[in-house]
Amino acid sequence: MSTERPGRVAVTGIGVVAPNGLSADAYWKSVREGLGVLDRVTREGCEELPLKVAGEVRGFEASDLIEERFLVQTDRFSHYAMAAAQHALDDAGIARDVPEDPFSIGVVTAAGSGGGEFGQRELQKLWGQGSRFVGPYQSIAWFYAASTGQISIRSGFKGPCGVVASDEAGGLDGIAHAARAVRRGTGAVVVGAAEAPLAPYSVVCQLGYPELSTVEDPDRAYRPFTDAACGFVPAEGGAMLVVEDEQRARDRGAAVRAFVAGHGATFTGASRWRESREGLARAVRVALDDAGCAPEEIDVVFADALGVPEADRAEALAIADALGAHAARVPVTAPKTGIGRAYCGAPVLDTAAAVLAMEHGVVPPTPYVFDIRHDLDLVVSRARPAELRTALVLSRGLMGSNAALVVRRGDDSAR
Amino acid sequence: MITTALTFDELAALMKQAAGVTVDPRELEKAPDAPFGTLGVDSLGLLGIVGELENRYGVALPTDAERSKSPAEFLGLVNGVLQKGA
Repeated sequence: MSTERPGRVAVTGIGVVAPNGLSADAYWKSVREGLGVLDRVTREGCEELPLKVAGEVRGFEASDLIEERFLVQTDRFSHYAMAAAQHALDDAGIARDVPEDPFSIGVVTAAGSGGGEFGQRELQKLWGQGSRFVGPYQSIAWFYAASTGQISIRSGFKGPCGVVASDEAGGLDGIAHAARAVRRGTGAVVVGAAEAPLAPYSVVCQLGYPELSTVEDPDRAYRPFTDAACGFVPAEGGAMLVVEDEQRARDRGAAVRAFVAGHGATFTGASRWRESREGLARAVRVALDDAGCAPEEIDVVFADALGVPEADRAEALAIADALGAHAARVPVTAPKTGIGRAYCGAPVLDTAAAVLAMEHGVVPPTPYVFDIRHDLDLVVSRARPAELRTALVLSRGLMGSNAALVVRRGDDSAR
Repeated sequence: MITTALTFDELAALMKQAAGVTVDPRELEKAPDAPFGTLGVDSLGLLGIVGELENRYGVALPTDAERSKSPAEFLGLVNGVLQKGA
């Protein structure tokens, strides 16, 4: 039994590790400019595979940020998550190592896969040299829950921890899970997702997705909502947020950057994109209801933008179904076209972009996308200034999860 | 016949390789009873060191080795086995 506190759930920290920026500031600068950074896949062992274009995190030196004893026992996906968590905590002004009240802070991540690169290396030792040559850290590094565990250990956080495994949309479900933990009395939760899907084994797994784009031209590989839509390309990286009880944030003088206002989630089955229309629309209605938000209050929509014609159509119709006449007026954007889809990290990056967009009063554009074939006011080419108080973030997973998150602007002045 | 003994220098190198922990072998030698946990080596890290030694020397170490609390205890156990010969 738990009672829910009436207070609001604030976002007090944002950390990003993405193909277009290794900090929230750098990410936002690229997103606002509509910079597309899709490029050839260069990760070792991936060069000859049919996936030619993706969003790689480049210039990231894990050893600059993370102690070696954590690096030896973790995969790249956890390195990104630990780095993003550190940025988010620094942004929120929450100390690591020796937190004031370690039981008041929890960690939640979402994960679509786990540590593919680490796992492949150890499995190669298994069949190449034998079981005695598999390192013990294989037991934890590949595991999709690794990042939550390592962030909590590294930071000394002992509050409620969890991992959401609900497909790409799990990025949003994780934020909702964290917000519920805060309403039940946890002071703050470090929440988000980061992925590292560009290793040979991981790429081979993804080649089975009919939605994966294997187009070789980075400018044409991922163009949702257009006649040239040909699927999506994957991305590395992700984002972590600090969500916190509003009163606790105010008491310690932290800036409230945004509020997690409402969430809804549904399931409509793997690759059943036509059915995702109904599921996504329902998720939006549930999220609006949860937030006490009228459709007309939504000032911007961050679309899922899968890039599969049937899925794009379903999403455009879902927005219309859920928002009614307002759907024709509300600006829609999909900054992820500039970097690719970081699976569970993708909707968390979108949530970070939504907070930054509200702070800066601009809707960022959708890179590489022109000539929209759907009845959407998709923002393309350049950022559009707008007073943004409330944002709607949408996400769907390849396995059938749909989610919607309503985020409200914080009441502190934009930075 | 193996006549070698594991030294503090080699243990320090293994701690770095298997557990990512950098420690001065002289410090290790000066305070050999300092717990592995305090040094930053967790149970999986120690298990990795045991596995590396078993592969290197072609011997099986007793299960107590991976439960050793300190470098002194660990070296005692390991060298007992190594010096007995494989």
